[in-house]
Amino acid sequence: MRGSGKFIGTSMKIDWLFLLAVALLMGFGFVLVYSATVTHDLVWYDSRWFRQMVYFVGGCVLAAVFSLVKIDYWRRLAFPLYVLTIFGLAFVALGGGDSAKGAGRWINLGFIKLQPSEFAKIAYLLALSTWLSKHRVSLSKLSSFIVPGIIFIVPFLLVLKQPDLSTALVFTAVTLVEFFWAGLSFWELFLLLSPVLSVMLSYPQIPYSQILWGLLIIVVFLTLFLLRFNKKIFIALLCVDIIAGYASTMAWNSLEDHQRSRVMTFLDPMRDPKGAGYQVIQSKVAIGSGGMTGKGFGEGSQTNLSFLPEEHTDFIFSVLGEQFGFVGALAVLSLYFLLLWRAISICRLHFAPFVNLVVAGACTIFLFHIVVNIAMTIGLMPVTGLPLPFLSYGGSFLLTCMMLVGLLINMRYQGGEIEDNY
Amino acid sequence: MLTDLSQNEETTDRGTKVLAYLVFIAFSFALLLIRLFYLQYVKYDENLQQSENNRMRSVVLRADRGAIFDRYGVVLVRNRPSYQIALVPKDLKNQDSVMARLLSIRDSAGVRMFDSLALDSAFQYCRWHRSGTVRILEDASSEQVAIIEERSADLPGVVTEVESRREYPYGTLAAHVLGYTGEVSDEQLTKPEFKDYLLGDRIGQKGLEKEYDKEFRGKDGMKFIEVNAYGREVGLIDGMGVQAAVAGYQMVTTLDLKVQHAAEAALPDSVRGAIVAIDPRNGEILAMVSSPRLDPNIFSLKRRERNKGWAEVALDSMRPLTNRAISGVYPPGSVFKLITAGAGLEYKVVNRHSHMAQPCTGGYQFGARYQKCWGKHGSLDLVNAIRLSCDVYMYQLGLILGMEKINEFGERFGLGSELGVDIPGERSGWLPDSASFNARNKRLGWRWARGLILNLAIGQGQLVTPLQEAVMAGSVATGKGVYRPHFMKELRTLDGKVVRRYEPVKIREGNMSPETHQALVDGMDSVVNHPGGTGKRAAIPGIRVGGKSGSAEWKKGEKTHAWFVAVAPLDDPQIAVAVVQEAVGGGGALSAPLCRKVMEAYFFKDRPSPDSLAHLAQMKKDSLALLRYGGSAKHDSLNAADRKAQPKIHESASVAKSDPKKMEGGR
Repeated sequence: MRGSGKFIGTSMKIDWLFLLAVALLMGFGFVLVYSATVTHDLVWYDSRWFRQMVYFVGGCVLAAVFSLVKIDYWRRLAFPLYVLTIFGLAFVALGGGDSAKGAGRWINLGFIKLQPSEFAKIAYLLALSTWLSKHRVSLSKLSSFIVPGIIFIVPFLLVLKQPDLSTALVFTAVTLVEFFWAGLSFWELFLLLSPVLSVMLSYPQIPYSQILWGLLIIVVFLTLFLLRFNKKIFIALLCVDIIAGYASTMAWNSLEDHQRSRVMTFLDPMRDPKGAGYQVIQSKVAIGSGGMTGKGFGEGSQTNLSFLPEEHTDFIFSVLGEQFGFVGALAVLSLYFLLLWRAISICRLHFAPFVNLVVAGACTIFLFHIVVNIAMTIGLMPVTGLPLPFLSYGGSFLLTCMMLVGLLINMRYQGGEIEDNY
Repeated sequence: MLTDLSQNEETTDRGTKVLAYLVFIAFSFALLLIRLFYLQYVKYDENLQQSENNRMRSVVLRADRGAIFDRYGVVLVRNRPSYQIALVPKDLKNQDSVMARLLSIRDSAGVRMFDSLALDSAFQYCRWHRSGTVRILEDASSEQVAIIEERSADLPGVVTEVESRREYPYGTLAAHVLGYTGEVSDEQLTKPEFKDYLLGDRIGQKGLEKEYDKEFRGKDGMKFIEVNAYGREVGLIDGMGVQAAVAGYQMVTTLDLKVQHAAEAALPDSVRGAIVAIDPRNGEILAMVSSPRLDPNIFSLKRRERNKGWAEVALDSMRPLTNRAISGVYPPGSVFKLITAGAGLEYKVVNRHSHMAQPCTGGYQFGARYQKCWGKHGSLDLVNAIRLSCDVYMYQLGLILGMEKINEFGERFGLGSELGVDIPGERSGWLPDSASFNARNKRLGWRWARGLILNLAIGQGQLVTPLQEAVMAGSVATGKGVYRPHFMKELRTLDGKVVRRYEPVKIREGNMSPETHQALVDGMDSVVNHPGGTGKRAAIPGIRVGGKSGSAEWKKGEKTHAWFVAVAPLDDPQIAVAVVQEAVGGGGALSAPLCRKVMEAYFFKDRPSPDSLAHLAQMKKDSLALLRYGGSAKHDSLNAADRKAQPKIHESASVAKSDPKKMEGGR
């Protein structure tokens, strides 16, 4: 095993610290789901905390299976799995799904309801990693983006059609990190993202947006100049940036008032006190009233009084903040950090690009959910439907998380057995 | 394979990337922690206070449901405040003691205000449901509200809510037209077209209330308030806007209260039947009565009384829930002879002076069957056959024509299909010919036979609604087409701005040759105004009334349905009336006087008939007896509304009287 002995427990084939973090987080999850839903559920075997426990046990079995599969099979299975989930996503996107709260995201198999977009996260991660482990990407060779671009854009658009913007953004985050791992530098990533930034800066609510847009174009120009890109790419990227900026401004101006207001409400939920803004305010009050040490288990008046409609799923962090305070939040964030650190450290152990890419991608899925969800509950980001890994109630997502855990164990345990290079 | 060197490079590269990744994680977690610290330490007191002492509530501001007026602006349906006493689970501190106190409360008559069983289940519900409110006393009286408000300090979590309920000041008047509202049902809530409704919303369930529910409903608003520990409102939350409720539209209907009164008075609850009066020039319905009636006020009462009232009307064998004017289908009887005669003229089989081959000798021999007439009329021409309603004449005419031609002529005037009136429940009726008769009776094995024409030619076997008959009579008399019958005249906002006006829609051309038109008008004239006419009881001195009687057989051994349709003035028709009374006897004798009463109310508005006034007074008394709440205030406002409306009626009536053209017709 290469590069061993540098960090704690690198010689261990199974990282017990990592598993401990998962177990502790799950424990926190039960406690919070229990306290948020105990007043609603009547009998224990039909309660949500018990169901959460059943999902967890099922998830452990899945994780064990995932960790025992020969690592080489993951590469061979990647594309078949990817195609399968694409079919699932297309089925849901074309209206075949079971609608919950307006957006049809579920496939009802009778005995169980599945959310294909959750499993698509894993299939996409495996497919992109498999491709990128064999093929490098580089901005100086634009054709290298064609296949990864297709792998990315198909599930991205299907999920966007559902509509589930936040899950689509998870795909984007995974893609960027994997590109970084597959050889793009920071500056190249910046250039890749610059058209998106250019579009974002055309949103008129941002102060000095025009000056900032000018600055962006200058920085793009300088980067392209200093990194000595060839003329074709130089001109193409600059044109794309400028056109994107102007086109989006024109598109914004041509929107109807109600459409514009819908976009603005998404970005600033306080504009709509009836819907999203109400939840955010209540969530902030709940977390803030927890103070340093919290009100104690089961004591949160905000959450117990059902001010929060989604308290056991998307807003579980407010239950934590209210009942266990800053200390509790710090503990959970530390556990998340431990989890991510132990996971990403696998990259130091094994050379194989496939292992590296899968690990980095899996960490990104966790990180994106954690940051976006918590930022939403404390009013730093718009309200999206992303749950918090291991803590939020919900079967499909918990199973996805446990599958990722299984994959990570697998990568650590068997990562040395894979031999490949670019 | 890579060399060792590049592998080392690769290794350090990976190390850098992992480090960069960890730094990024640490950075974003630090941002979250800073924000958490700010909320939980810096803003702790503020947030704690907000969560402990002051709570935020969202309050739905109910939109006022639009009122309904008659054509001269007299209010027919309005809202009244109704007080509900409710529990707020979030504010219930000590459930047992609150419940004990509530149980001990008695009103001035010494009766317990709350039922212990209902109270117990409400408190049980509160234990598991923390949001919203739970109603414990519906439609409370002012005394009950005062008692609860007085003791509010002892009763944390018990609040009084005001909602507005529908009130029908004239009780049963036009009840089938106006309809009623009720809470939206669970079944309705599952359907997509009701997605804007919440549990507990009131929704129109019948009549105009249902048809125009979206218009009457308005748009609920919402506000965010802070409440104190007792659940009382302290103030609005800063930065959260108030979305004001938008009141629903008010409707001016085409109904004429005066004519409606006369029609209501003419048809007592003991008789099953219907009266429809329309303006044939544009389809405006002036009056519609279906008897027996129901009082829509019962649907605004508290649950127990509501259920009792509902059970009464729902189980009544007279079926008061059916609007017989549009959902009741009857054989038209001799009224249909107008159509048979018209078809004969239009297809040039006869002219107005034609006699049939066989004179009426009291019957007609068709094959082996002898079909009777109701009298012995001798040899008649067409106009006199209508006047005397001779069956033998029509048998022969029908046999010459065939049902297809007769039905085609009937369809020109709206028979046999829905007219599209703007209240739900309309039925289409049926004009049988050989094809549709066979299709309909296939299961029974009955086949079309030519002999059936005999029955159908005199209106035995078709199905029509009273509304269709009024429309038919009116459009035959005007000869200017069939207009869609409707109740909606205008929709207005609360401050009186007209937002929608009903433009008359011509649904049938109602075309016929001038000769046909003239012969039919003369026939209707002779029925009422010539000696021996079957409808002379409908005559009004000074106004030229035309009409046609009908006595429809519907069951052997039972009395006939009494039909009468009338149009006046015949030269320039302004009103067409159809009356049907189930199983009472002959139409000319029994229903023609009712037509006359309705038309008199229309033409002589300033000369109210004494029995219609008495009827009005009685009805007001009945409906007020139901509205216990705020009784005295209601009396005043009702009278005030009438006083206000009265001069308007006088005004319009005097206009009608002074208009020489209208009066000319009679002489």
